[in-house]
Amino acid sequence: MLALDGVTFRYAAAEAPWRFDLEVAPGEIVGIAGVSGAGKSTLLDLIAGFLIPLAGDITLDGRSLLTEPPEARPVSILFQTDNLFDHLSAARNVALGLAPNKLPRAQRQARVQEALDAVELGNFSNRVVARLSGGQKQRVALARTLLRDKPILLLDEPFTALDPETAAEVREHLSALIAAHRWHTVLVSHDAEDLAAVGARILVVDGGRLTPA
Amino acid sequence: MRFVVASLLALALAGPAAAQDRQVLTIYTYDAFAADYGPAPLLKQGFEPRCGCTVDFVAAESSIGALRRVQLEGAGTEADIVLGLDSSNVAEARATGLFAPHGITLPPLGLPVTWADADFVPFDFGWFAFVYNRETLPDPPTSFAALAAADPSLKIVIEDPRASTPGLGLVLWVKAAYGDAAGDLWRALRPHIVTVTRSWSEAYYSLFLAGEADMVLSYTTSPSYHRIAEADERFAAARFSDGHYLQIELAGILRSSPHPELARRFLRWLVSTQAQATIPTTNWMFPVNLPAGALPEGFAEPLPPAETLLLDPEEVAANAPAWIDEFLDALR
Amino acid sequence: MPRYWGRVVAGVVLAALVAALIGAMLASLFVASARFPGTGTAGGDIFYLARITIVQATLSTLVSIGVGIPVAWALNRVAFPGRSAYVAILSMSLVLPALVVGFGVIAVWGRAGWVNQALATLAGARLPGTIFGLHGIILAHLVLNGALAARVFYNRLATLPPATLKLGRSLALGPIDRFLVLDWPPIRAAIPSLAALIFLFCFTSFAIVLTLGGGPANATFEVAIYEAVRIDFDPGFAALLALIQLAICLLVILPAAAWPLGAALVAEPAPIRHWPDRGGARPLQVGIIVIAAALFGLPTLAALVGGLQPGGISILGSSAFRAAFATSMAIATFSTLLALALAMVLALARANLALVAPTGPWSAFWLRQVIGAPAFAYLATPAVVLALGFFLLARLTGIPPRHLAPFVLVLANALLALPLSAAILGPPLERLTARTARLQRALAISGWRRFTEIELPLLRTDIGYAAAVAFCFSLGDLGVIALFGTGDFATLPWLMYRAMGAYRGSEAATVAAALIVLTILAFVAIPKLVSGVRHAGA
Repeated sequence: MLALDGVTFRYAAAEAPWRFDLEVAPGEIVGIAGVSGAGKSTLLDLIAGFLIPLAGDITLDGRSLLTEPPEARPVSILFQTDNLFDHLSAARNVALGLAPNKLPRAQRQARVQEALDAVELGNFSNRVVARLSGGQKQRVALARTLLRDKPILLLDEPFTALDPETAAEVREHLSALIAAHRWHTVLVSHDAEDLAAVGARILVVDGGRLTPA
Repeated sequence: MRFVVASLLALALAGPAAAQDRQVLTIYTYDAFAADYGPAPLLKQGFEPRCGCTVDFVAAESSIGALRRVQLEGAGTEADIVLGLDSSNVAEARATGLFAPHGITLPPLGLPVTWADADFVPFDFGWFAFVYNRETLPDPPTSFAALAAADPSLKIVIEDPRASTPGLGLVLWVKAAYGDAAGDLWRALRPHIVTVTRSWSEAYYSLFLAGEADMVLSYTTSPSYHRIAEADERFAAARFSDGHYLQIELAGILRSSPHPELARRFLRWLVSTQAQATIPTTNWMFPVNLPAGALPEGFAEPLPPAETLLLDPEEVAANAPAWIDEFLDALR
Repeated sequence: MPRYWGRVVAGVVLAALVAALIGAMLASLFVASARFPGTGTAGGDIFYLARITIVQATLSTLVSIGVGIPVAWALNRVAFPGRSAYVAILSMSLVLPALVVGFGVIAVWGRAGWVNQALATLAGARLPGTIFGLHGIILAHLVLNGALAARVFYNRLATLPPATLKLGRSLALGPIDRFLVLDWPPIRAAIPSLAALIFLFCFTSFAIVLTLGGGPANATFEVAIYEAVRIDFDPGFAALLALIQLAICLLVILPAAAWPLGAALVAEPAPIRHWPDRGGARPLQVGIIVIAAALFGLPTLAALVGGLQPGGISILGSSAFRAAFATSMAIATFSTLLALALAMVLALARANLALVAPTGPWSAFWLRQVIGAPAFAYLATPAVVLALGFFLLARLTGIPPRHLAPFVLVLANALLALPLSAAILGPPLERLTARTARLQRALAISGWRRFTEIELPLLRTDIGYAAAVAFCFSLGDLGVIALFGTGDFATLPWLMYRAMGAYRGSEAATVAAALIVLTILAFVAIPKLVSGVRHAGA
């Protein structure tokens, strides 16, 4: 269970603070909606560790995450765009999801290929990412997420840049992986339909707090 | 009250007007001569009351620089006198045709060589020597050969002959002492040469005094400055058995000058004992006209004529470029 | 559309004027060479000169960039109090007077320098050889340009998009992966232009080569031109050298797309948590920062300390110092204004090329080069060539050269600062124009209004920085004054140089220290001044 308990934050002393209370079960997708600037990305930054809350606690199965810097947190992130390093190949990008030096080379390559197969991009492993389409890029990013296999998955507007058909494809892959791996998922989007389509429990950031839609 | 103000005003206005009636004698010279701490201010102070004129010393980067300036300016130059040419570039200066014979009768001069020149008046002289610090170098070399053969850790700093008269003096010195073997000597000296500077001041102050080299090419009178002005006895000039090259500093009147007579008066005054007495402790060179025993206490002794080297100025003018090239080639 | 040609035409006209100036200067030198055939020692091997200059400049550039990258990397990773001051001081290295830095290097690394003294006390050892020679020149160039390179690369790293940083961090990239994947692409993109600029500085280096070169074996075209004009008196040869220098440098500049450097300004740090590296990388980074501070800072410090000797302080009160100070300030102010004006015209012209779409791709290319080239005029007319050219022209027209001196000095300094000013102002203008051209057209904004309401506010900080650089360049320049200068008309560097004669070294050191302090003050104060003025007007 991922839990945010009274997590308070504000950027500057003069501004109104946010206060987030949230619980996400394993395999559950929580959708966060709200107008621009309401604080959706701030919430994700807090969970990921890029911002430090003024008060409150973030715990995973009772263990506090606040002491851990972002690189140590059990979190994977998917952004709207720029999830990959354009000048590297798909395989290389996915391989970044593996902790360095843990496995011999052949095994690493096998796992990378497995992940790409899981998102149906097995034949693209050597393709430089800059030459992939938007949807393919998101799927490569998903493959990397798969390899990282962190219990928490954060998504910041992952479908917004995609056309409806591609978005639907990516959503399918996403839902299947979340269900299979039981990731605690927080999905931010300004598009209510996207959220509904993945079957998320929708909350809205309003007045600095999360309220059910 | 109004009367006071009016007369003050009249005086103030009359001042510049009166000054405009005075003739201006413009002298191009090298930097150190014209500086506040050089001979120029004293000479100015001494001459202006005598002539009722204004003396204007204009500083060029070096004596060669002063010559180049009048060459550039041609007949339209403001200069009446160029002061600071020396025995090494005098032939070149004469060849420009810009100078007129000085026409003054010189008093008997205390030069170590016979020197007679219708166009240029000598006003001081000195010998080139390598100066060193007695404390860090208790055992200096006593000749060029000894310097070349010394341990490679002995470092010297010299000046560029193209830019600086001591630098040119060194090339001529080596040529006078070694003749055709000069090139070999340069190559033998090369490991000792830390750097070749553009100006004497850089070599002396910035490098030698800062400890970057053990010896610097300068004058036999340089230690006199330290002894007299700074009460510092550590510095000395190394006596070379090859002899030392002489530098005679000269002044010349420009043909284009509108008041040659005034210029002649200045030059006569310049070689008078009164003006010459200021030379040792401002220019740190030997005066050409001073009674024996009149040098300041602690000033260097003049070298005997037997140890004095000087090449014929015409020969210098004809060959200096080739000799300088020989020097440059050996160093490249 | 025709309305946007106005600026382009202005740029072309300016380019033509500058070309005419260069032509007039060089022509007068060639003409003079007929009358003054030269004394002969000026000859010499142009190939040799070209080879040693190119070798020196190439090595200096490689070393500067090679050192700049790790320093920028280390600074990016380690956040310490005073980091922004450290980075600001790196910017300043560009404008320190080269002559002073040269002597500072000797004071630190020379036979009697700080390093040898420390080594002798601690280990009874000594540095082998001397500081004079090619390696000394490269070291001094490193002090000046390595800091600049570090500054530029640091700026690139600090302006990485936050999203990319977050991505990398969430992937827990190790130090090596992080550098290769995140840092290297923007650094590599900055290298060609930066290298071209550093190459240019090192190629035209004058004071450093004279101070640390160790003799005739090391020279540059600038040194040879100076000697040809001032010493050998061979104006024809000087003009020839100037043209060759221009040709070689253009070969380097044009491929690097002429105007390098986005503004290497103070970057806004992203308001996201600082991401240090873990493990063994961190001590290495701290070590690099400390060593870099010593490497870049000690020579300047040595020059400052040297200037605090009691014997020299008295010169600060003298009337000569006050006069030189006033002259330096006046010349610097006017040359800064001129440099900014010229850079602005050129930058606006080039930016507008994006709007006017001249016929065919080739003419667009050539127009760009034509407008970009004048920025580098000083290569063909170094100060000494400019001085002589004007001197000769003055003789022809009967104007006493003395009256020309301030004017020539201002012009020479403005031309010296022009490449950097243009490099600072150009890219932001081009970006703005490219991005908002259609918008501006739709709103029918053009001409003066466009300048004052849209472009000037954007360029506030850049102008401040360009002004500071131009001002400091002028303060430290020991150029044209020799030919025109007299005892009365002196600038601070000239005063320092003259004090070095007649055994007045401690006073020279004091003036040098005063110059450094002034440079630092100007560099810090001018950008704030310029921004303040703009704010008041806004």
